[in-house]
Amino acid sequence: MKISEDKLKQVLADVFGIDVKTINDASSVDTVAEWDSLRHLNLVLALEQQFDIVLSGEQTVQILNYPLIKIVLEELGIDFICAK
Amino acid sequence: MTKDDLQVALSRLTKETTYSVYTAVSNILDHLEPQESQMAVLKVAILRNFTVDPLIPVIKGEIASAGFYPMIQLGGYDTIAQEVFDSQSALYVTQPDLVFVFQWLEILAPEFVTRFPSLSHTQVNDEIDRVLNMLSQFITAMRQHTNVPVVVNNFLLPCHSAFGILDVQSEQYQTHAILKLNLDLLRCFKKFHDVYLIDYMSLMMRIGSEQCVDERYWQIGRAPLGRNVLIPLGQEYGKFVRALCGKARKCLVLDCDNVLWGGILGEEGLNNIKLGAAFPGSCYQSFQREILNLHDRGVILALCSKNNEQDVLEVLRDHPDMLLRENNFSTWQINWGDKASNLMRIAQELNIGLDSIVFVDDSQFECDLVRKRLPQVAVLQLASDPSSFSAALNAKAYFDMLIFSEEDKKRNQMYRDQSIRKSLNVSAGSIEEYLISLEMVAQIGIVNEATIARVAQLTQKTNQFNLTTRRYCEGDIGMMQAAGADIFYLKLRDRVSDMGLVGVAIAKYSGQQAEIDTFLLSCRVLGRRVEEAFLAQILYYAKARRNCSSVLGCYYSTKKNQQVADFYGRMGFRLTAKTELKSDWEFALGENYFLTPACIKVNTDEPKDGK
Repeated sequence: MKISEDKLKQVLADVFGIDVKTINDASSVDTVAEWDSLRHLNLVLALEQQFDIVLSGEQTVQILNYPLIKIVLEELGIDFICAK
Repeated sequence: MTKDDLQVALSRLTKETTYSVYTAVSNILDHLEPQESQMAVLKVAILRNFTVDPLIPVIKGEIASAGFYPMIQLGGYDTIAQEVFDSQSALYVTQPDLVFVFQWLEILAPEFVTRFPSLSHTQVNDEIDRVLNMLSQFITAMRQHTNVPVVVNNFLLPCHSAFGILDVQSEQYQTHAILKLNLDLLRCFKKFHDVYLIDYMSLMMRIGSEQCVDERYWQIGRAPLGRNVLIPLGQEYGKFVRALCGKARKCLVLDCDNVLWGGILGEEGLNNIKLGAAFPGSCYQSFQREILNLHDRGVILALCSKNNEQDVLEVLRDHPDMLLRENNFSTWQINWGDKASNLMRIAQELNIGLDSIVFVDDSQFECDLVRKRLPQVAVLQLASDPSSFSAALNAKAYFDMLIFSEEDKKRNQMYRDQSIRKSLNVSAGSIEEYLISLEMVAQIGIVNEATIARVAQLTQKTNQFNLTTRRYCEGDIGMMQAAGADIFYLKLRDRVSDMGLVGVAIAKYSGQQAEIDTFLLSCRVLGRRVEEAFLAQILYYAKARRNCSSVLGCYYSTKKNQQVADFYGRMGFRLTAKTELKSDWEFALGENYFLTPACIKVNTDEPKDGK
């Protein structure tokens, strides 16, 4: 499934309540103040719903930063198109 | 954040109804004061025995979409009894407008759900009675302190019934037992006023029970709701909010072409529009039947169509396959003017607000126009496939009502004014009886090879009931033990289930003084006085086994452990020092024994096989 990377960033922006422009490869549980354990669960639910995928238990706890999210989503069959 | 940010997000939600947008709305609400939102506040108290946190953003979004600023008081995990029996609990003190009770059957009656084949017929009936009696007591207790509407869920049939294909063949098996329980729930609630059932069973059947329950989250955090049920379920609670808060809509205004029949009347003529027993005309007839149902439920019908009035009236009067007739409609605006102005005329004629109207049209242009000019009107834009119309209209449940008459509204206000409060005697007695009925057994011992992993894990995970929040790995625990400290574990079971190892305490000794380095309990066992039993044992041990004369305790304040700031004080310790971040306490082990509460039986025997 081909998805624009902007769509992925918008999901993070919505779940954490932050500006979509601030999301980049450095975004992680350590750098985003709003990224706590409760919102992490919301993030997993939102990603699964938005892209119609199912994360394994392991993948759920792996996606602690933006690059890892992209990697796991790519493992699940999602091709990201960057708006460049 | 401003109210405009909220309105933009809510409008985004109508077009993009996804979980992430609900979380976006929820985040905005978290940063918006009620007065800035310019919406009336709606306070909802939630009582629950499972993890419902993922559902909260959807419920908040639905309440905001209904026009209220949501204030959610989230009750503790599985502390429903404690909260309803305590007249000073947050449930009552916050004076909510609505109470939602969330109960998962597997937690209420685990054997009934997971070990049904092991139960005798008598045991099954006893379990059903126990659950019903308990719920009855909860509501009785609630009604002594509040008269606001209470919404309680019924229970799902399991994905795989206990006896497989045999299960549904007889009344003695699980399917029948759960159906019976659900029916009995209704009978039980009818004894009270304003207690409503939210139908989990039907909703999850509609979506598919396999889609609704997430085994992973159930195992990880007792959060059974799957991602595909969060939005429909949150929206279902939204329907209750609308029905109970006077936001149910009253009037359905319909376009005609490609809504009530297929085709454009003005171009094709009465004889060629698609309406009748054959497909696709049958779809439009089905839709008309749904509309007639709403009419019979008391909804006002009106027409708003760009047509010649005479042409439409001719269809209403003479077309043999029309189910809706002229006398079903209270008024109409059939002309070539813009639909927004027409809707305003309809509202004026019927003497209702624009926020009472639902407008149904298949045209993107008309729908966008009305959305922009009249945001209070609910707009349902129909897709091109007429077989989808009925489901689309029913799903929104704009008109759903619950009986909550003017008299009832006034009655609530009267009780609120009189501030009826029940005496503490009754509440305390009820809590004590409830705790005794749990038949709790705590096993307290010194950590060993079999328990050290779990003990370390608890020190790393536990945040709320944790006095000092010190994180230890197994190595740390081993070292402390070697240096002479006692590391205690507490296991708890009750008549309903075995909760396993749920408490850790670490006592260090120096001469005749003991110091409690760590004292924590899993949030699963709060509100049961387990902490008292645990502390009693530690104090006993310090005196009887370690010859101590005093015990020191300290509390380090964190964002998450505020609930135990005063724990040592309540247990009879003396405050010796206090700063903003830390407080120190002392207990003199003289004749002042600390008693284990009567509702918990404590075993300290070390089991032979070290488990």
